Amino acid sequence: MSDETPSPKSGTEPTAARSHLPMWTLVVLLTLLYLGGIYFDHHSGWFDRQVYAPFDNAVQLEAYQPKSGAAAALAARKKSYEAVCGTCHGNDGIGKAGQAPQLAGSEYVITRGFNRLAHIPLAGINGPIKVAGKDWNMAMAAMGAALPDADLANILTYIRGSWGNKAGEVTAEDIKAIRASLGARPQAMTAETLQALPE
Amino acid sequence: MKNGFVIFLSVAAVMLLSWGALVLAPQMQLGGARQVPVLNSTDVYPLARPGTAAQGLQVYRANGCAACHTEQVQQDGVACDVVLLSPGKNPSAVSNLLATLKLTGLDEGSALSASDRIAAAGGKVETRIRATGSDIARGWGLRHSVAEDFLYDYPVALGSLRVGPDLADVGRRLPDPNWQLQHLYAPRSLVKGSVMPPFRYLFETRKIGAVPSPDALNLPAEFAPAAGYEVVPKPEAKQLVAYLMSLHTDVPLYNAPFTPPAPLKP
Amino acid sequence: MTVNESPSTTNIDASCRVPLLALFSGAALWLVVSSALAVVASLSFHMPDKFGDIPFLTYGRVQPAADDALLYGFCIPAGLGVLLWIFARLGQVPLRGGIVPVVAAHLWHLGVLAGVVGILAGESTGFAWLEFPRGAAALLFVAYLLLALWAFMNFTGRREGGLFPSHWFFVAALFVFPWIYSVAQLLLIGAPLRGVVQSAVAWWYGGNLVFLWTSLIGLGAAFYFLPKFSDRPLHSYFYALFAFWTLLFFGSLRGIPAGAPLPAWMPALSALNSLLLIVPILAVAVIGWKTVKGGAVQTCKGGSYCMIKFGFVAFLLSALLLVAGACPQVSRVTLFTWFSVAQTQLHLYGFLCITLFGSIYYILPRAVGRDFAFPRLIRLQHWCSMLGIFLLVVSLAAGGLLQGIKLHDAATSFDDSTRAMLPFLRTSTMGLLLMLLANLLFALNLLTLLFLWHLSVIKTVVGAALAPLGKTGVKA
Repeated sequence: MSDETPSPKSGTEPTAARSHLPMWTLVVLLTLLYLGGIYFDHHSGWFDRQVYAPFDNAVQLEAYQPKSGAAAALAARKKSYEAVCGTCHGNDGIGKAGQAPQLAGSEYVITRGFNRLAHIPLAGINGPIKVAGKDWNMAMAAMGAALPDADLANILTYIRGSWGNKAGEVTAEDIKAIRASLGARPQAMTAETLQALPE
Repeated sequence: MKNGFVIFLSVAAVMLLSWGALVLAPQMQLGGARQVPVLNSTDVYPLARPGTAAQGLQVYRANGCAACHTEQVQQDGVACDVVLLSPGKNPSAVSNLLATLKLTGLDEGSALSASDRIAAAGGKVETRIRATGSDIARGWGLRHSVAEDFLYDYPVALGSLRVGPDLADVGRRLPDPNWQLQHLYAPRSLVKGSVMPPFRYLFETRKIGAVPSPDALNLPAEFAPAAGYEVVPKPEAKQLVAYLMSLHTDVPLYNAPFTPPAPLKP
Repeated sequence: MTVNESPSTTNIDASCRVPLLALFSGAALWLVVSSALAVVASLSFHMPDKFGDIPFLTYGRVQPAADDALLYGFCIPAGLGVLLWIFARLGQVPLRGGIVPVVAAHLWHLGVLAGVVGILAGESTGFAWLEFPRGAAALLFVAYLLLALWAFMNFTGRREGGLFPSHWFFVAALFVFPWIYSVAQLLLIGAPLRGVVQSAVAWWYGGNLVFLWTSLIGLGAAFYFLPKFSDRPLHSYFYALFAFWTLLFFGSLRGIPAGAPLPAWMPALSALNSLLLIVPILAVAVIGWKTVKGGAVQTCKGGSYCMIKFGFVAFLLSALLLVAGACPQVSRVTLFTWFSVAQTQLHLYGFLCITLFGSIYYILPRAVGRDFAFPRLIRLQHWCSMLGIFLLVVSLAAGGLLQGIKLHDAATSFDDSTRAMLPFLRTSTMGLLLMLLANLLFALNLLTLLFLWHLSVIKTVVGAALAPLGKTGVKA
């Protein structure tokens, strides 16, 4: 058996002394809880679902989102498109039945030149038109007429470069020129007048 | 405490709190997770793993790969680099300014002021965000791992010990399936001091038939089988490699932002 | 030995005899199996090519099998056995209906067998500390419920009304395991949650089982045996109450490692509670020190008292390592290294297993009514297990720190950090071999006692069958 000296009281069970808990235990506990609260405040992101280490809070995470340069320009263009055109043409560019035709793969979007495309938002379009094999007969207001040149250029560049479209960009100067050529209150385009334009 | 019922109730209360904080709350926050948009792109992330890769995850689980490998990239911080895209109309002023400014490893505020000053001098700049940390510096990933990286996995094999390198982004780092197959069969043929056990039972050594199999491994002499024999991966080996190929965390997300390195122009 | 025990104490001990034999002998076998598997796993670092053709000997299967065999095969049944006996003794009420705990013990060991074989066969669930496949888990759950129910019935039927601190720790342990086990099995294997929430639940389960549950059992046993051996009252009731509450509260709200792919509040909450564990650690240290100091002085001859004291110090050390590992500056280096393995092994083997050895060496001879066959091997076993765990923990902790420092420096290649680890892993294998020897000696003593008990039972039965009829026999 174990080599301990047999205790004469080995049949009795242990007891616990009832002396009181000293104050320092509670002081240490409360101090550590306070320090812990400070630590949690700095490192927890305050339960934000998106804040992961090493970010400390949501504001810092937002500050470090890439903003400048080509990537930011794309983000800005996407935002403008979705705000102005996305409701009808869809954020995914596939259009909505009964509202607006698709822009992804549309023959009016992916042409080498942007002349025809730019006339549509500047002048509006109505009447029957065939887009990507489907027939449409709706009326679109001149949604781009009130937009500044740069914004409309951004939107058209975005449309021409997204969802598989691989056409070139449109600049603000181009829009300015087309707007000038259209005059103050242009007539809405139709399929025929659109086709009559140079590409 | 006076009686068992009091102990039981109070322990139950503590365990309920523990369950609420570490099981219920995470489930409420992350349980409804969906695909999220990739930063500055029309893509969404993640895409579900293809069938062979999903089977490969089960091979990964059955063989306990998570005992030696982790799948969680660590990131210690984030830094901004200001990059000059074009000197603009006044190159000498811009270059004088550049000589005085620190342009790499900045925090967000300093990067903003540096880029504003260069833009004011006529230069065109871009601020690039990148992750920092030893894992990132080793090339084990471009950003820290997030919940979306494991959205469609069962079981999520995060691992807890790095006897071997982290595998979260191994599909980007080691994209050659033949390298992976050879490494599984004979780790020391590719990594000199490796302690990884060879997984020869995932392969079959068989006599070469009329024509050598296109799947046969191309092994160096000391690891190659006897003459007239070839080593062919079993389906489990191919599934496991498909899973490893599918391990990519190289897209920027809102909760793990970075500027992707620019793709090479054709 | 039994001269000094009061008759009712002998009855109480005897009532536990068969359940304890069933629980402890199975546990001893699993202890040896787990050590053997751990040695095989660690050989993989020195001769990696040896087992390349054999799927059930690959490191990724053998290491989890060894870990689970230690925790589920030895720690839990042995802990429950010690709990049953201490309840019976403290409450002064014998264990009734002993057949149910015996059946439960066999069910439990069957479940562990199914689980270990399942892992080696490739049916592991993939979650740390929960690798046993479903069928095995079901067996374990039912067996635990039966044992917990029997323990609770003995507890509520106690004659001594007042509660001793060990009571609280043990009652908490009885409740904690079914709760965490059922939640983990349901949410990870039964109806799995989606995505990385699985990892959060798995870490919650692992932290509660490997740290909290084991601490509750080990401290419950230590708080019983330390005052018993030192022949002084436990110092004190309110210190123990304070330690109990803080251990339970902080110990249950941790487990998620730093840098996990989870929103930052989860690892932060976990790190915070791990750091706050310093409070119960200090309280437990004071309790141990004040209970033992000035008490019956017994030269450390490698007996039960020595083991309980060693286990107690190991608890303090391993918990301090846990607290240190939670500091952000330290975890940056020790994360994903062998350091955390060292801390876990010190806690499981150094603290819980050695405390259970000490308890079992005291309890089992009294329950069976006869001494161990090889009493001098007890001391040898104790020194082997102390030396073994010391070698294992020191080598893995030092190696883990070095590994972490090298991993943290991106200029050092990964191969360099692997190469730097190898001498430490070699030393750890020697530690594991010593532990295997110690466990073999433990199992030898327990199994020979079981055999001798079986022999005596057979002798009694045969003797009764062959005994001539007494004077009340039928006259011809």
